[in-house]
Amino acid sequence: MNIRNIFLISILAFGARAQAQIHLEHRIQAGFNIGGTAPVGFPNTIRKVDSYRPEFSPSLGYELSWRPSATHKWGAAAGVKLDYKGMTVKDEVMYFHTMITMDDGSGKSEFEGAFTGKNKTTVRNAYVSFPISAIYMPNDKWRFNLGTYMAWLFSANFHGNVSDGYIRNGGSLGEKVAVSQAEFDFGTDMRRFDVGLQGGAERRVGKKLRVTGNLNWGLRPVFPSDFRGMDFPMYNIYVTLGVAYRI
Amino acid sequence: MTHISPYVLLRSVAAISAFALLQACIKPEPPNPEADIETFTVPDSLLTGDIFIDQSNRKILLYLEPEAFESGIAPRITLSAGATVSPASGDSIHFTKEVVYTVSSASGENRKQYTVEVVSIGEWKWSFEKWLVQDVDNYQYPVESEGEQVWSSGNPGVALSGVPKQPSGYPLRSTDDSKDGTHAAELVTLKGTTLSGIVGIKLFAGSLFLGNFDINSAFLEPLKATQFGQPFAGKATRFTGHYKYTPGATYQDKAGNPVPGYTDSCAIYAVLYTGRTRLDATNIHTSDRIVAVAQLPDGSGRGNWTHFNIPFNYIPGRKSERDMMMAIVASSSKDGDQYRGAIGSRLVIDSLAIIQ
Repeated sequence: MNIRNIFLISILAFGARAQAQIHLEHRIQAGFNIGGTAPVGFPNTIRKVDSYRPEFSPSLGYELSWRPSATHKWGAAAGVKLDYKGMTVKDEVMYFHTMITMDDGSGKSEFEGAFTGKNKTTVRNAYVSFPISAIYMPNDKWRFNLGTYMAWLFSANFHGNVSDGYIRNGGSLGEKVAVSQAEFDFGTDMRRFDVGLQGGAERRVGKKLRVTGNLNWGLRPVFPSDFRGMDFPMYNIYVTLGVAYRI
Repeated sequence: MTHISPYVLLRSVAAISAFALLQACIKPEPPNPEADIETFTVPDSLLTGDIFIDQSNRKILLYLEPEAFESGIAPRITLSAGATVSPASGDSIHFTKEVVYTVSSASGENRKQYTVEVVSIGEWKWSFEKWLVQDVDNYQYPVESEGEQVWSSGNPGVALSGVPKQPSGYPLRSTDDSKDGTHAAELVTLKGTTLSGIVGIKLFAGSLFLGNFDINSAFLEPLKATQFGQPFAGKATRFTGHYKYTPGATYQDKAGNPVPGYTDSCAIYAVLYTGRTRLDATNIHTSDRIVAVAQLPDGSGRGNWTHFNIPFNYIPGRKSERDMMMAIVASSSKDGDQYRGAIGSRLVIDSLAIIQ
């Protein structure tokens, strides 16, 4: 028996001993994200929201939770999730400042102006998220969690159009140019990394099944600070509604 | 009772609450920061041509009968909502000194000044010696020796597409390569920008024309943005001038694909038509108001300065009227209004004249 085997055995033994005491739970989580990629506090240039619709935004993940013992109320959890976050909003804006920069390799072109008219924006971003939570289980039925998450964007969609209005070249004093419809696509400008707070509640509805609701509040603007397409920061604010299944 | 799945119910409730939350977030409307003179009206009988408000250069261009110029006018003015103007709408103005209108926005923070310019062409002869640079977008435009603006181009429209803000970034600019005096007008067909590509514009032909550019139509109806013509009196007989032309290497179609075996050509023409309202690129060749045309017959390449002297061809059956307009139009790519041509096509024009 060499040193390596001894080492392995002791790890296993320790593992078995630990298993006897602590309570680990493996869970599959599935749900849908409903919410918005939006400013916190609307700027006064947004005059009216004509319609809002969540995009098809599934969330699927695995979570491991840990408690010192099966009867212990407090614990911790960590997970990995595939998160789609999306929405389509139609709104009306007034004197909305924007700057569009495009670079096709051969040169940069830029337009800055103030738009008044209608806007339609569709967001559908896919993230790999890593939530970490403190958990509290006051009884067998309920479970609460609060923590943070980090998320990496791997597929970005942020596009839409402006229509039925006019844009002023340079700003509100610039010359007016009528716009019937113009498309925009800011997908490639988005930040690849998001971090935020998350917390929620669950209620047991079956032996292994729980319904869940979890709020995910991004703390990092989804566009970098030098992005001028919109002159206010926007955050990912989504609620995940779904189920958790213990495996 | 139909069964509604709890998930669907929950999702609807969440969506409705999110929507309600969004509505609740709407703040009071911002005060209007705009300070435009939107319309400037005097009785038609005082005019030789329709008034044009040049929003890019903040000028009100007036084409007045001599009596109106002598006695002054009392224009009616409309403004951006809530804005105020001095002198007020309806006040008389006289042209003994420069007239400037100052507009203050409803928000109070913004002011815009419009200079009134009475435009009349004394001598129908140009050598393009004096050029100004537009304040904000830095494109050049030619003016008369007294600073009057009678020529325009597509430059104000090109300025919206994010080209470099310097004179050489625009399709019309001045050049030292002149026939007469020290400057001439240089028109170059340029490659579109990424931004203009989005709206299907892959190239900008260089243009120069008598008239105005209506920036408001630049996106929506670009062919209507080029308002051709200035008030004209008398009988036009010939259209003369000097030019040089080098077509660009590769002719391309609207989509930007090369068209083999096709060479770009330039366009230079003058059109005399009736009325006070300008024709534009949609009807400058087809309107039944056209009385006479003088057109360069062959727009192919000319390496050296080439003189042209073209008689006006009066269309039988069309009669001159009291109010007439004359348009002169030049383009470095004759199909440039359809966004077809060759990038790099270069037309230089100097010493144009309408012989009466």
